Amino acid sequence: MPDLDAIKTEVRRLLADGVVEVVVAFKPGDTPLHPQPAFFHSPEEVDSLVHNGLCQNNLATFLTHLPKTKKVGMVVRGCENRSVNALIVEKQKSRENLYLLGVPCEGIIDWRKIVEHVGEAVLAVHENSDEVTVETREGQFNLSRNELLHASCLRCAHRNPISADILIGEPLPEGDPNLARVAVEEFESLTNEERYAWFQKEAERCIRCYACREACPMCYCTECFVDHIEPRWTESGATPAGMQGWHIVRAFHQTGRCTDCGACERACPMDIKMTYLTEKLNNDMRKKYAFEVGLDIQTQPPFATVTLDDKNRFSV
Amino acid sequence: MQDNGHSPYTPIPMHVLHAYYESTDHSLKTVELSFDHAADSQAFFEAFNPGQFCLLSVAGKGESALGVASAAWEGNFVRFTAQKMGSVTTALHGLKAGDAIGMRGPLGNGFPLQDWKGKNLVIIGGGCAFSTLYALTKHIHHESHRDDYGKLTLVYGTRTSGLCMYKHDIAAWHENEDMEIHQAIDVPEDDWLHHVGYVPDVVRQVAPSPVNAVAVVCGPPIMTKFTLPALVELGFAPENIFTSLEKRMKCGIGKCGRCNLGPKYICKDGPVFSLAELNALPADL
Amino acid sequence: MNLILEKHALPDLLQSWRGNYDVYLPQKMERFSHFMPLTDNSVLVTHEPHNTRISPKALFLPMTEALVKFTRFGGYEDAQQVIQPRIIFAIRPCDAQAVQLLDTSFIQEAYTDPLWLERREKTITVGLGCHEPCQTGFCTTVGYGPFNKADLDVLLTDMGDAYLVETLSKAGEDCFQGLPCASDEFVEQALIVQRNAHDQMPVAFETENLKEKLEQNFNSDYWETVSQSCLGCGVCTFLCPTCFCFDIVDETQRRERVRNWDTCMFRTYSLEASGHNPRPSKVERTRQRLSHKFVYWLDQVNQIGCTGCGRCVRYCPVGLDIRAMLRQAQTLPFEVSHAG
Ligand SMILES: Cc1cc2nc3c(=O)[nH]c(=O)nc-3n(C[C@H](O)[C@H](O)[C@H](O)COP(=O)(O)OP(=O)(O)OC[C@H]3O[C@@H](n4cnc5c(N)ncnc54)[C@H](O)[C@@H]3O)c2cc1C
Ligand code: SF4
Ligand code: SF4
Ligand code: SF4
Ligand code: SF4
Ligand code: SF4
Ligand code: FES
Repeated sequence: MPDLDAIKTEVRRLLADGVVEVVVAFKPGDTPLHPQPAFFHSPEEVDSLVHNGLCQNNLATFLTHLPKTKKVGMVVRGCENRSVNALIVEKQKSRENLYLLGVPCEGIIDWRKIVEHVGEAVLAVHENSDEVTVETREGQFNLSRNELLHASCLRCAHRNPISADILIGEPLPEGDPNLARVAVEEFESLTNEERYAWFQKEAERCIRCYACREACPMCYCTECFVDHIEPRWTESGATPAGMQGWHIVRAFHQTGRCTDCGACERACPMDIKMTYLTEKLNNDMRKKYAFEVGLDIQTQPPFATVTLDDKNRFSV
Repeated sequence: MQDNGHSPYTPIPMHVLHAYYESTDHSLKTVELSFDHAADSQAFFEAFNPGQFCLLSVAGKGESALGVASAAWEGNFVRFTAQKMGSVTTALHGLKAGDAIGMRGPLGNGFPLQDWKGKNLVIIGGGCAFSTLYALTKHIHHESHRDDYGKLTLVYGTRTSGLCMYKHDIAAWHENEDMEIHQAIDVPEDDWLHHVGYVPDVVRQVAPSPVNAVAVVCGPPIMTKFTLPALVELGFAPENIFTSLEKRMKCGIGKCGRCNLGPKYICKDGPVFSLAELNALPADL
Repeated sequence: MNLILEKHALPDLLQSWRGNYDVYLPQKMERFSHFMPLTDNSVLVTHEPHNTRISPKALFLPMTEALVKFTRFGGYEDAQQVIQPRIIFAIRPCDAQAVQLLDTSFIQEAYTDPLWLERREKTITVGLGCHEPCQTGFCTTVGYGPFNKADLDVLLTDMGDAYLVETLSKAGEDCFQGLPCASDEFVEQALIVQRNAHDQMPVAFETENLKEKLEQNFNSDYWETVSQSCLGCGVCTFLCPTCFCFDIVDETQRRERVRNWDTCMFRTYSLEASGHNPRPSKVERTRQRLSHKFVYWLDQVNQIGCTGCGRCVRYCPVGLDIRAMLRQAQTLPFEVSHAG
């Protein structure tokens, strides 16, 4: 488990020494289930900083909320570090204006699973690598950490931040990269009809609140394709065509950009699965182009590069 | 609002009588629309008051709020002037005589003409927002209403002379004894005989008397922002200064929530507000 | 009238309504409950977190619906909706209260929304009080409560093996015809259950002078502080039973003008054609959302526009908690206004 005091000490130092103007991390929410992303501007504020398994957002999302030239510090886990790298590749931030405090990650806990087990009256949550202990008004419950983890985290192959300025805590053994394929293969093994039925069932629950988009670090377009009026790319409403159009195009726009952090699924108020689509595309990127996003800050995603010897030239 | 037994979201059918450019740069186009059904026309004119607006509807593009630029006495038609902005207004610019179009309205409150009776009127307009003030002036200027009001002063500014709307009437009004008219452009042009300068400055220069007078201001936000304090300086009480507000609109009838300014909906409770009312509302424009 | 409904008799009663009504009740959908039409094998789901994820406002104001149809020759006609008489079973008091609030917007002298009105007139609401109030909800704080009767035709109190059925309208009475009357003792016990539920709910924030504080601090840094981590998504408002904003969009291929749920939290919501946006950032948008509920609704109908259902608290993806935001607002400076 991360050493919270060590994180705070480093964050305080960054702010006190003026290395950065703001540090993006988490602070406690009103209930232990919902820590909140927070912006720390002075060492005094840092007392309230938290970092635990219930911190469900990908903080890299906030990078594009802040001015490009602002010196930003960020507490990053494996996926967040890679999302930050991907944003640097896409010129949304320059590395000089960033200071990354890396924290190896043992996976994000799905708070909804806790509520399913013990109800909402949660007073405190304690965790270690194997177990999550939840105190409620009715008593104390010990739950297995693995069972509570979010699907993306169970298949994560990059638990350690790969390009942090400082790593807090010992690196963890990396996850098995083959696990990422399992989810994709499960989906691929279905017949066309079954796949479509799966897709329909997930997509058509959508209420088009766009929490998935807003929670995703890579969805930073000032005008999303769904908001475009002329031409309109997809039906506007919560109709089957509209919802399917949204889901499929959103996924495609992530090709070679998604780190499978799962923040989109965790944000979704309708419990919609969507990483099976982005993971399929990620898998294709790995297979066809040997590309994985966010491993460095130079390599453009395959679909953002055009070379003279491209096999398929775009013809207009 | 027409009560034709239909949903208030359903436009009534209209046809374009005339469509012509209002400005030399073709950014402004005027359309005059006639009613397909006599009942709609009757319902419209029973409810209509200068200062109100309608939603013009182009199927497949959407609806746009436009102020009514005609007075009831002019005849059985409704006039609008649209500045080309986005999808709907671009479609409106493509209209020609004989084309079908939908309309909802009249919407909003309009100017409180009853309260203004017996008073001197200072009408201050800028840009294309002058359209409803044009309707107001035409209404008041008509022989059957003129005696209800006192002195009429008109200040109208545009960026260039080419952007001046309703030129024919304006030229006639310059000749009119019964009305004091001050026209202005932002930068000097050859052959320009009137004021040069921004509307707030022209207002200060003209210095209309606040005694027994109301002032009404419609223009681009920046003009309105600086003209309102100028009027206050001249001694107009906030209760006697009026302006027409704009915000993005959809339903036009206070249902969709979009155009709220604090607890008021501009479409339903406005668009005309007195400065006194505005001062009590949050600055959320 | 006070009646007793044995729980084992409920499925048959629900089925008996099907002949004359479309019956909607909370049923399991994925990991949550959702109002869905009653079928032969529907199972009522009322456990923790005991309210439906999407509020039943969706049964009155669907996420998407056609308003106008385009006719062949450039004309328009009203979109037709076939709305059957219906019963909404086990609607929670906070959500019924929200429907009453929304009536004040959709049904007005000058303009009435015909689709809303028709659905309202054709709906009977059978409320289920919350004998074990949810943890996140705060209905009592905002002046409503777990056994609030506003807008209900019937209120049920869960008494273990049976419900106390309080009929509150003729239509409600008709639906429960033939049930035995509840004894005074049973009613007495139910009232205790109701009172206990009410008393068990903590005060989430003080509402006294809250309106004045929010109003007078319109330009305060407070809004910046409380909105910092907001993502500008539609979760808090789409799930909110009292949020009613909608967009109107032309769907050319369907030859329809439709309305879709919309929200003041979206960046495109108030963006004007000129590029001007009166609410350019999450600061102004958050201010609008909170002010609408805790200032403007009060100005308009003298009621708080939040019924305390707790959905926004539970599902905000960044854990922004309206209760905490309002507690913080209570620390803002203000002056007592002597007007009126
Ligand atoms: C009460 C009122 C009176 C108006 N009177 C006039 C007038 O007389 N002449 C004139 O040229 N313009 C007027 N406008 C502004 C005009 O409504 C907008 O310029 C127009 O709606 C832009 O629509 P669009 O489809 O061309 O632009 P797009 O950018 O394509 O807009 C898409 C949609 O957004 C909405 N919208 C965008 N901007 C505005 C806005 N500023 N106001 C209202 N809705 C908006 C409309 O619903 C529009 O259909 C008025 C606005 C209001 C509120
Ligand atoms: S699409 Fe989802 S999983 Fe992929 S980067 Fe975005 S939020 Fe993370
Ligand atoms: S967060 Fe969920 S409900 Fe909202 S738009 Fe995304 S998929 Fe749809
Ligand atoms: S749900 Fe949370 S993040 Fe989304 S708009 Fe509401 S407050 Fe902001
Ligand atoms: S503001 Fe939140 S708690 Fe209040 S009614 Fe809406 S969703 Fe429920
Ligand atoms: S809070 Fe926002 S979305 Fe909800 S009704 Fe008010 S303006 Fe609309
Ligand atoms: S435009 Fe819908 S409320 Fe004003």
